Amino acid sequence: MKAKKVMALVLAGILTVSAFAGCGENGDPKESGSKSVSENGTVELEVWNCNTGFLPCEKDSELYNFYKELTGVGIIQPYVEWNGGSNYQQQLNLKISAGEMPDLFLPVNGMEADLIKNGALLDLTDILPEKAPHLWESVPEEVWDIVRSYDPTGEGRIYGVPNVRGFTVYSGLIRQDWLDALDLEMPTTQDEFVEVLRAFKEDDPNGNGMADEIPTGGREEAKWMDHLFAMYGLAMQEGAPDWDIYDGELTYAGVTENMKDALQFIRGLYEEGLLDPETLLNDKAGWEGKINSDRVGVCYHWAESATAFSEAMKTATGTEPDWAVLPAISAPGYESFYTTKQVTGLEWVVKNTEDEAVIDAVMKVLDAYGNPDLWDDFYYGIEGMHSEKVNGKLQKKADDKGTQQNLIINPANSLADLEFKVEMFKDMEAADESRTWALDQAIRDLEEVQQYGKVVAGDGMPSSVYEGYPDILNRTLYVEYASKIITGEYDIDKFDEFVEKWYASGGEEVTKAAREWYAKTQ
Amino acid sequence: MKVRESVNDRIFRLVITFILVVLAIITLIPLLTVLALSFSSKAAADMNIVNLRPVGFTFASWKYILSNREIWKSFFLTVVATVSGVLLALMITSMMAYPLSKKEFKAAKILMVAALITMVFKAPIVPYFLTVKSIGLFNHPLVLVLPQILTAYNMIIMRSFFQQFPLEVEEAAMIDGAGRFRLFYQIVIPSSKAVLATVGLFYGVTIWNQFQHPMMFIQDTDLFPLQMKIRQLIGDGSELQTLASMAGINYSDRTLQAAVVVFAILPIIIVYPFLQKYFAKGAMLGSVKG
Repeated sequence: MKAKKVMALVLAGILTVSAFAGCGENGDPKESGSKSVSENGTVELEVWNCNTGFLPCEKDSELYNFYKELTGVGIIQPYVEWNGGSNYQQQLNLKISAGEMPDLFLPVNGMEADLIKNGALLDLTDILPEKAPHLWESVPEEVWDIVRSYDPTGEGRIYGVPNVRGFTVYSGLIRQDWLDALDLEMPTTQDEFVEVLRAFKEDDPNGNGMADEIPTGGREEAKWMDHLFAMYGLAMQEGAPDWDIYDGELTYAGVTENMKDALQFIRGLYEEGLLDPETLLNDKAGWEGKINSDRVGVCYHWAESATAFSEAMKTATGTEPDWAVLPAISAPGYESFYTTKQVTGLEWVVKNTEDEAVIDAVMKVLDAYGNPDLWDDFYYGIEGMHSEKVNGKLQKKADDKGTQQNLIINPANSLADLEFKVEMFKDMEAADESRTWALDQAIRDLEEVQQYGKVVAGDGMPSSVYEGYPDILNRTLYVEYASKIITGEYDIDKFDEFVEKWYASGGEEVTKAAREWYAKTQ
Repeated sequence: MKVRESVNDRIFRLVITFILVVLAIITLIPLLTVLALSFSSKAAADMNIVNLRPVGFTFASWKYILSNREIWKSFFLTVVATVSGVLLALMITSMMAYPLSKKEFKAAKILMVAALITMVFKAPIVPYFLTVKSIGLFNHPLVLVLPQILTAYNMIIMRSFFQQFPLEVEEAAMIDGAGRFRLFYQIVIPSSKAVLATVGLFYGVTIWNQFQHPMMFIQDTDLFPLQMKIRQLIGDGSELQTLASMAGINYSDRTLQAAVVVFAILPIIIVYPFLQKYFAKGAMLGSVKG
């Protein structure tokens, strides 16, 4: 008994001591002021963004000096394992709770809302136009309005720099060389499209004497076959139903009549064997394996993937395919388009600080990031490390995680316009003429698909509208019903049951939140 | 003298053997697929046609992996961490388990409860992070070892083993003049190889495989243990392929991934058979105690 008491006392004592120790740690003023100015007056910033395995950027390293030349600021970038964003988020949260928030970073999964509420992020509304004019100009006005809608306090302040993609990137892709081989025209109506699929299946377009062709298909969870859904005017992104105006109101595309008709159509293709029977089982490697082995006629991907698909198939099979844009084909009674979203969340937020030197440094970085004249430099990185001169033109080297530092400031993927992208491809052609045939496809497709793109009403919608309803965000119910309807396990009438269940399991609330958000952007 | 097997026994044995062989094949298939992929060409991987045998046999992926100095650095760091970690862990764990196995040690019960609590209620992640960081272990190689050297589960296995240790032997040693410490080091420990091997293996595998933990505490790429280095190198297969010229390169993300996975599990696969006999024995220890 006595021993127990003594033990309890000792434990309590240890607890008390450690509690005080903890307090002392937090109150340490040295820890909270993280900005540092090196001897020569350069302000140093800690910057965090996505890194899928490249080397970090330490002080005085090559990339540090490269960025210092471009921006006038010292950029330190520790290695943070990305791991699909989940580890990045955890690390960031731990750092923030330790009072060591990075100066400039990429927020993930809507974490910015809480940070803004707590006053942890810098209000950029007035400083950006003044101190980072290039960036301010590079982002369209309507996109800034979307960013204003992210302010959870409802005051419409700007707390971050958006990730902008001002053009249509996805496209249905069709084997033009197969069409030519079978003497077929590019389909423009749904009936013609189905006829083409039938011809692909039966007339041996790859000419190997075997009926191994897969007219079209996609991947598990009914992903990456948006070209079929698009015929019904559905807002879709990589297979995830998105939000657009249906019957005059912002609505989840997954629960509309359009979706019902689309599933009916796709189910028909599946029945007839025009859709890859393994569509709902294909993972990325599986589906792209079929594409690369000269067996697939129509697929859906980034328009610029025409180059990668073509080159991969050439090495693998020796055939030079021609992946052309499949026009957005309307089903009877519908208006088809390829979904375009200009804003995919925030790319940068800034730690709240009163230190003018730090604010100025951050603004210098953001201004350089928004300056079209510097996009090439940011893209090609360091000559010798990330790129090399071929025929007098810089060309990217193959990724090498053992030697390349992470190009953390990457406007080419998060800000640059179509013109820049096309220029990039042309540069690659100049550097290596033997790749022209494949690169030309990407240039042609990128330019051609623009006419079929439409910016949907759900563009830029923050994931916070799904808060509390992860199953709706992960579209668990949708995937189950869509898959079973496509494979014929469920009758098409089951779709109505899905709509009912979807609304009952949180769809109602999510729709309400989404419409409230939409009203704010108008 | 051999007892003759009845027909029934034979059939039974046959069925069991058959089931086990099937199971073994099932578990072998994924490993073989990965192995085959690691020796396959980029074209074969792109076409996704590799199954159990390499297609377009090449050493390209292995050459890339094995000539990567970073990987070797991480490999040796992990070996050192595992070996030193296991030794330290066995020392600390046995020194805690032994007294707790003694009835005459009055505080044993409370200490056991305290240990059990850590097993049931894990420390929440933020306070845990802040504590370890405040000790100075953030970005420190010791973070690979220190937090792993005592787990309640392993300690309890050892304790039950020590509880079965014949009291008579200990008493005899004491009568011959051995003190508690000498008794522990010269009598108890040398006769506990089975449990030491088992628990050592548990600790070894944990330290070798640890990933979440270093991911939380290590940002310096020079201090990456093997598992993290692997993660860094194989990365997230990005949806959009890189457009850099791949001419003359005969590996892809997927073949590299395969090679590096085989590289990382090889040491454990090599060590396992030697420790297996202890392992099976030791794993039963907790349960047979009367």
